[in-house]
Amino acid sequence: MSAVKVKFDKYRFLELLSPVLGFLASIVVLMIIVVAVGESPVKALVAIYKFSLSSSAKIATIFSMSIPLFFAGIAVAFAFQAGVFNIGVEGQYFFGGLVGALAGIYFHLPPLIHIPVVVLFSMLGGALWALIPAILKVTKNVHEVISTIMFNSIALALVNYLVNDPLSGLGKGKSLEPQTAKIQSTALFHKINHVFSYIGWKIPDYVYLDYSLIVAIIMGFIVWFVLFRMRYGFEIRAVGTSLDVAGYAGMKVKNLQLAAFLISGALGGLIGLQEIFAIRGYYTYGIASGLGFDGIAIALIGKNSPLGVVFASILFAFLKQAGYGLQFYTAVPNSAIYVIKGLMILFIVVINEITAKYIRALRKKEAF
Amino acid sequence: MPVPLLEMKNITKRFPGVLANDHVNFNLFAGEVHALVGENGAGKTTLMKILYGLYSPDEGEIYVKGKRSVIKKPREAIHYGIGMVHQHFMLVPPFSVLENIVIGEETHRAGILDMDAPAERVKKIMEDNSLFVDLSAKVEDIPVGLQQRVEILKILYRGAEILVFDEPTAVLTPQEVKELFKTFREMKKQGKGIIFISHKLDEVLEIADRITVIRRGKIIKTLNIEEATKPLIAELMVGKPVLLEVERPTVKMGDVVLEVRDLVMKSPRGYDVLSGVSFEVRAGEIYGIAGVEGNGQTELIEAIAGEVKLESGDILLNGESILGWDVRRRREAGISHIPEDRHRYGLLLPYTLAENLTLGMHYKEPFVNRFQVINRKKIREFARAVIRKYDIRTPSELTPAHALSGGNQQKVIVARELSAEPRLLLAAQPTRGVDIGATEFIHNQLMVAKKEGRAVLLVSADLDEIMSLSDRIGVMFKGRIIKEFTREKAVKEEIGFYMMGEKE
Repeated sequence: MSAVKVKFDKYRFLELLSPVLGFLASIVVLMIIVVAVGESPVKALVAIYKFSLSSSAKIATIFSMSIPLFFAGIAVAFAFQAGVFNIGVEGQYFFGGLVGALAGIYFHLPPLIHIPVVVLFSMLGGALWALIPAILKVTKNVHEVISTIMFNSIALALVNYLVNDPLSGLGKGKSLEPQTAKIQSTALFHKINHVFSYIGWKIPDYVYLDYSLIVAIIMGFIVWFVLFRMRYGFEIRAVGTSLDVAGYAGMKVKNLQLAAFLISGALGGLIGLQEIFAIRGYYTYGIASGLGFDGIAIALIGKNSPLGVVFASILFAFLKQAGYGLQFYTAVPNSAIYVIKGLMILFIVVINEITAKYIRALRKKEAF
Repeated sequence: MPVPLLEMKNITKRFPGVLANDHVNFNLFAGEVHALVGENGAGKTTLMKILYGLYSPDEGEIYVKGKRSVIKKPREAIHYGIGMVHQHFMLVPPFSVLENIVIGEETHRAGILDMDAPAERVKKIMEDNSLFVDLSAKVEDIPVGLQQRVEILKILYRGAEILVFDEPTAVLTPQEVKELFKTFREMKKQGKGIIFISHKLDEVLEIADRITVIRRGKIIKTLNIEEATKPLIAELMVGKPVLLEVERPTVKMGDVVLEVRDLVMKSPRGYDVLSGVSFEVRAGEIYGIAGVEGNGQTELIEAIAGEVKLESGDILLNGESILGWDVRRRREAGISHIPEDRHRYGLLLPYTLAENLTLGMHYKEPFVNRFQVINRKKIREFARAVIRKYDIRTPSELTPAHALSGGNQQKVIVARELSAEPRLLLAAQPTRGVDIGATEFIHNQLMVAKKEGRAVLLVSADLDEIMSLSDRIGVMFKGRIIKEFTREKAVKEEIGFYMMGEKE
């Protein structure tokens, strides 16, 4: 019995090791590309280190950047767990962010209530934007990849129109960056940098570790608990594992997919929290875009588990910073940096998958 | 003694953690049928894959007609005159029989396909082996028994003298089996050697000249037909005495539990899959449905379980129509279902046994509390008890389902569906691909269910299984039950005729 246990631990260890292996391989790829574009690989590594890891403030910046990425990853991952491919997180956070911002602008509430309210409204907005593709999927079998991609474009056009005209805070055509009115001070997310000084970590004021970090931790825990400790989470995962088995066992497959889709949208609605409520204090069409798509890669690397997504979003934030570092300190052209980032992600995912498969095969053979 | 047609000496094949073949010696003489029997995972398939060049052995040699032969690819096996009829046919359905036979070996004149010369050759082969098929028919239009003949012709066309048959009778009706054995006898006369892999001991005893039993990668014994008996072979296969006849309890039949009335179902392409099925099953009764696969059995079971929609008709459980009910409601009303395809429907393969054993009841107390939080301790306790009760061989209740053998996976499903204490058990192909030990176990469990007064609807492609378990037998053909037999009046050959639709 103890022998069996030791072996199981060995595989567990190998499984945990596989993303690290993928990461190391991706570093090798990075070096090869850097050499190929005629830059010194040592210089590139130094640049990355200097820009992203050389001080505690820089490390804190990575954590700060990983907060929206975490929401993006967990939003996509939740849908993935139910076998739903929600490509529409992009549109869901643009719309969800606007709904949340409106709650922050037009409601007059004490901070203790106002902040949860804007969080809930952001989620509501995200879920609302997922509603039509979700209904189309479960009732008419319209594939969500197609419908959500189209809804991304619709969301961008809609919020562009809204902040330009009916909801413009500056008046029509008054600014190059159309934006809403200012969010009430009661709804603004304050920094919690000082909290970290209690554990001896001094974080300068220009780094944003704000209330959205707390929201992320709470949401991460809730998602984990629902997925892995509650009945509906089990059913959602069963649907994602096999529609046939779930249906056979009497689960209400359509309802579960609908629910997972909406929850995914709701989680996606949280992506904008940091930028809208902590950094800008108003909503604009110009908030960072593309995070919804990053979320797909993050969910993939994190294998759709909340903890995996934590690590993957930190890794992703690091890759972003590494890209800036290369831009800043080396002659590696901008376009090559996109290639490098893309290839690194590819390698991490692929090597992770290969080792995982290999371990599964080993384990199976041993069980015979 | 003549030189054997084939001799495999000291074949050893290791896979990580398993010794699939352990110094196996096996030979085959011209003009004999040599049966290879053993449980699933005993090493039959590995040995045949080595012979066919799909695996290379770690140790050992192969001699064909006394000459050392190294077989690295199926093509080389064919070159040595070794041919294999696989369990799943390797045919191109829209091609004609002739095209399927010559495929890969086409002859041509100046690049233009020549089908006349091959047709002549194939006709000669058909004559010699009394193995006739209409060469111009499309494979998709001919029955399974004839498709198998096409497979045999295919390997004979390639000059095979050593023919390997991997469970060839699994898909055939009794009449087709007879025809196949006739072909075997013809081929024996031609001096060919036949390796016959089968689970069905009656058939092995009928046709084989010698019988080799393999267990856990080792040859246990090679018997001459004169010394072989059914109980002896079974015991050698399993390693302990096996009860081959199921003990049938006498049970007083109760009320009608399931009544099916005029079920009609259309396929997506619009033709009838079920065209008016009616029958009833009583408490304490096992109703067996015999029939060649693809005559609507799968759809019938799925319709009763609530997984597919019907065109018309009615299904009554204890007198109440359940037509509008979804799967969960039907399960709650007491329908359990052992699905035909256990991997596709029956198990969440990456999930633990504990999760799989509670699947379908996972939402009920005590497996969740009133806040719908899963009680993992209760699930594990339940799983441990079930594993003990049903003797499921597993390291623990936390082992993932995919790590178990096929027989144990099936036991998990049977255990789960019976522990729901159903009124009606739908058992579709409950022992398909399952070894003798697990089959015996599953048959006994069905008898226990009968004894406890449950109604059992059994579907199986194995007519022997249907005949030994059922109280009544309905023969299904083209989406209808065309004949019902009581247990006492059932004759195998007669059922076979109805299965072919010939007595309609």
